[in-house]
Amino acid sequence: MLQATETRELIEVELLGVRLRGTFHRPAESAADPRTVGSGQARTAVLFLNSLALPRAASGDSAVYWAESFAKRGYPAFRFDLPGLGDSDGETSTDLLDFINAGGYAAAAAHLAKEVVARGNLSGVVVVGHCAGSVSAVFAAAACKECKGLILMDPYFHLPVAKRPEVREKLSHWVRRSGVGNTLSNIYDRAKHLRLVLGGASLPGNANGALLSKWKTVASAGLPILMFKAPGIKASGSKPRLGEFDYIQHVLKLAGRKSRVVVKTIDKADHSFANREARDAVREEIENWLATNFPLTDPEVSAQPTPQSSIKYNQSSPTKTMRPPSNQDCALEGR
Amino acid sequence: MQSQPHSEKHLTERAGYFEVSGAHLYTVLHEVHDPVARLLLVGPFASERHNTYIPLVRWARYLAARNIEVLRYDYRGIGESTGVLNEMTLEDWSEDVRLLSTWLVARSPAAPLVIHGLALGAVLAGRAFDVGAGDALLLWSPPANANQALRSTLMRWVGLEQIFKFGNDRRSTADYIRELEQGTPLEVEGYQWSTKLWQESFAFNLPQALDTEEAAELAYQRPVKITRLGKEAAPLAKGGSVGYDDLKDFTWLFAPHHNWIAEAASNFNKAEAYAAGH
Repeated sequence: MLQATETRELIEVELLGVRLRGTFHRPAESAADPRTVGSGQARTAVLFLNSLALPRAASGDSAVYWAESFAKRGYPAFRFDLPGLGDSDGETSTDLLDFINAGGYAAAAAHLAKEVVARGNLSGVVVVGHCAGSVSAVFAAAACKECKGLILMDPYFHLPVAKRPEVREKLSHWVRRSGVGNTLSNIYDRAKHLRLVLGGASLPGNANGALLSKWKTVASAGLPILMFKAPGIKASGSKPRLGEFDYIQHVLKLAGRKSRVVVKTIDKADHSFANREARDAVREEIENWLATNFPLTDPEVSAQPTPQSSIKYNQSSPTKTMRPPSNQDCALEGR
Repeated sequence: MQSQPHSEKHLTERAGYFEVSGAHLYTVLHEVHDPVARLLLVGPFASERHNTYIPLVRWARYLAARNIEVLRYDYRGIGESTGVLNEMTLEDWSEDVRLLSTWLVARSPAAPLVIHGLALGAVLAGRAFDVGAGDALLLWSPPANANQALRSTLMRWVGLEQIFKFGNDRRSTADYIRELEQGTPLEVEGYQWSTKLWQESFAFNLPQALDTEEAAELAYQRPVKITRLGKEAAPLAKGGSVGYDDLKDFTWLFAPHHNWIAEAASNFNKAEAYAAGH
């Protein structure tokens, strides 16, 4: 069995005795010393975290597609399984969602960011998280200076439940299928909207206070953040469904005037962003955003993958050597 | 037949790439020093891979802790394997099973090989077993043919799609199948299904001898176990919530199947020893 292909390498990082497994996508380049490009500046890498319990390939293998694309553009890309997920060691239990929402993966994600930066002699990482992965990304960014940017896909800032009661599921199913149910649903939405208006700008009771606080810390400090929204059920653009609290507007206010938060709505996306049109749109937006915020200054950076021999993620010397380097069925959708 | 399990913490898992024509298969070997058996785990198709990933990793670890070496992998063009999905055929994926079986058999020391398939993986495993691969076969929820496996995935996806659609925007499974049959590729949970794959799937059958365990053992003279998983096994069977049901404790499912594998391996080893003595 091989440890690497022409463009990818399998890597491991140890965290308190737990072995975390991941894939490194080698960046395209032409410089002799792949740690740097022409200007002598170390590169910024892209680090993908798991979305809830999905393996590191993500829905429809979209993370593989994005990582390959960014590597072709010259950005080293890493996809890791967090403890207990995918191929990594460690345990998880059915309270995974609560664990994530409480920032349970912050330490592991921050450790990964540090390891990747140290081993590759990189300038930092942009952490990418989708859905529950975006919660871990925000917590991680607040916990490590190596995180130089965030990409958040359909983030949520409340505390959803992992499994809704069966009666609630049946009711939702009926509402979606029945004309009467749809009408009742609209009336319910309006009633909720009225309550929201009367309640002023106060946060809902199930807001994730700890997450919002970390968000405020990183966003108000001017960390570049790119946020993607997929249209939700009975919603358009980045606006929430009638009667639901507008968290995006709220977090933009929290971020303040010095923030560098960009919100993009991908109209063709579902919550997973895995369909072709959505993943292409996301790729394009991220590539432009990376080029603006983390430019590669070497004009000769090739669009072709680097030959295997030129970059090696050296596992045997874990201290510092990167030699010449919707899911629609997501538990959170529609909550 | 119970053996004292090793602590799963001390087991070696080696991820690697196995070279096949035009692609690299992503593999994870749950390595065992002196195994009583080896098992090739043939998982389900495309999006089902993601939903079943954690339970199947846990299954592999459960077996490795009990001295059964396991190799799991991703189909060509899916997950961590390289290759372009819509260029792949069911025959390519059959070849993956044959090549990996051969690789496992060549490992030392020799141990009986069990091929284990789930859903579409059960069809692939069954067909490999039919042509002589493996000393025992374990099937979880085998469909009669590949089309049944694809159809079941499609129906689940259409159900989810309909959550987001109202009135005339809603399309039925039949509408999507019609398009696919008319030559338009269909994207199901981020995976592009080609018309060719759909058409081929009808004739890609589970061998008839695998209809029942009795018929199979008679035909092959090798142990075969077939289990139809119920809703309680979700997401290994249809249903369940991602991020919740895939994290459940599956010992109730793993233990009896491990016992069956251990017994099949023990019988195989006894027969080998007897044959060697004569």
